[in-house]
Amino acid sequence: MKQMKKHIAILLVVMAVMLSGLQASGQEESPTNQLKPTIASLFAILDDVSLKGNQHVVERRAKIMAAISDRFDFREMSKRVLGQTWHDLSDSEKDHFVTQVTKLLENVYIGKLESYGGRDVEFVAERIKGKRAQVTTLVPYEGSKIPIHYIMQREQDEWMVYDINIEGVSLVRNYMEQFSSILREQKYQGLIKVIEEKNKTFAAEYGAS
Amino acid sequence: MRILSLILTITVLLVWPGEHLGAEKSGGGGIGAEIDPTPDNPYPDLLEKETEGEAPDLLEDDPFFTGPRTYLRDPIFEDDFSFRKPPPPIDDPLESFNRVMFTFNDKVYYWVLKPTKKVYSSILPEDIRRCLGNAFANIAAPIRFINNVLQGEFEDAGVVLGRFLINSTLGIVGLGDAAYRDFHIEPRQADFGQTLGKWGVGEGIYLCLPFLGPSNVRDTFGFFGDAYMHPVPYITENFGTDLVYLGVSRINLMTITPDVYEELKRISLDPYVAARQAYYDYRRSIITK
Repeated sequence: MKQMKKHIAILLVVMAVMLSGLQASGQEESPTNQLKPTIASLFAILDDVSLKGNQHVVERRAKIMAAISDRFDFREMSKRVLGQTWHDLSDSEKDHFVTQVTKLLENVYIGKLESYGGRDVEFVAERIKGKRAQVTTLVPYEGSKIPIHYIMQREQDEWMVYDINIEGVSLVRNYMEQFSSILREQKYQGLIKVIEEKNKTFAAEYGAS
Repeated sequence: MRILSLILTITVLLVWPGEHLGAEKSGGGGIGAEIDPTPDNPYPDLLEKETEGEAPDLLEDDPFFTGPRTYLRDPIFEDDFSFRKPPPPIDDPLESFNRVMFTFNDKVYYWVLKPTKKVYSSILPEDIRRCLGNAFANIAAPIRFINNVLQGEFEDAGVVLGRFLINSTLGIVGLGDAAYRDFHIEPRQADFGQTLGKWGVGEGIYLCLPFLGPSNVRDTFGFFGDAYMHPVPYITENFGTDLVYLGVSRINLMTITPDVYEELKRISLDPYVAARQAYYDYRRSIITK
């Protein structure tokens, strides 16, 4: 009898765990709904008066990166940008590469949003195909609306951004093409140097102005 | 007893997920409701009927999955592949020549265009430059009208015609964009390279043209095709005047639009490749749209 009670208890625990799992997946949200709060917090930081201007660039960027990192998979972007060469890297090289590419994409993507200075982002479309999704936003800029598409992939219950497409131009593909052109001539060691140099010029640019 | 509870546990484990996933089916409409997985297919392919809103399809155009065979042994890419043929790679056999042209254009930009732009902007105030920009665009309306008709985009052709009529009259010879300001009719673009693309004409090899920048064989033909649809040469009947007109309208346009070239150079590791790729992505996106 005691034995049976124990088993019923285990059973109840199992059921409780499953129920909570059920609840979690019942709340599972569409890519748009998952992306919205992230983009909202990003623009809230961009609009924050106390963080505006080049003198606050480091602090502002750090806050933005912290706010978006749970929705933007920069490691996945780095893998895709590098392609097959990724497998030839050691673990520490991989980590270093991810850090550098994240910095590069931060400079480009956040820099672009800063230059648009736009608020009132509209979420206009969503497309889901299997594990992948595309969420389309429009950012107002000088009387026109710039389409920014977020390409996402499902990781468990989370939709994670792995490419950003601005006006039809894919960031990941554009850098992938540039990287492979550099890889052909200078190999990985040359490529990582070029990326590091680029990040340094970005840093100097913000530091100088 | 032990066996009984074990069987019970296993049954619950097996049945439960299936049931609760099935139950999700009834979960309302709107964005997000389309997810309808089953235990054996947790990520069903829902294709275009599930699309919300209007946007070009960028998912099929994913460059990283050129087919399951290519990356089959690659654990990163194994789980995903494209259903449609990937876009053909950019054909650039003249790369070394094109790179020379790219450098040439770079010099033209920094030595000629940028200083000219500066002087031009200092002489004419911004609103006048914007008005001139409107007028230049308005005169070029036949290009957009004819190409929209050739592409079968009759609605867009109507919009172009409507904008042309409104702006030529209410906008005072096109200087003001009354169609947008008063009626919120946004401009519609179309060019002959795009028309040829929509007709199925291939891109041909990549070309970096002196003064004009990134192009390909098809779009170079398109450029000359558009020149024939432009009304100004028919009015002036003088090639020199046409070139001056082209130059002034380009400089004017450069002073009222964001600086694409310097921005591209700033963010790229290899500006030549970045420009080539951006050009193709952009052209392909307006052709497949």
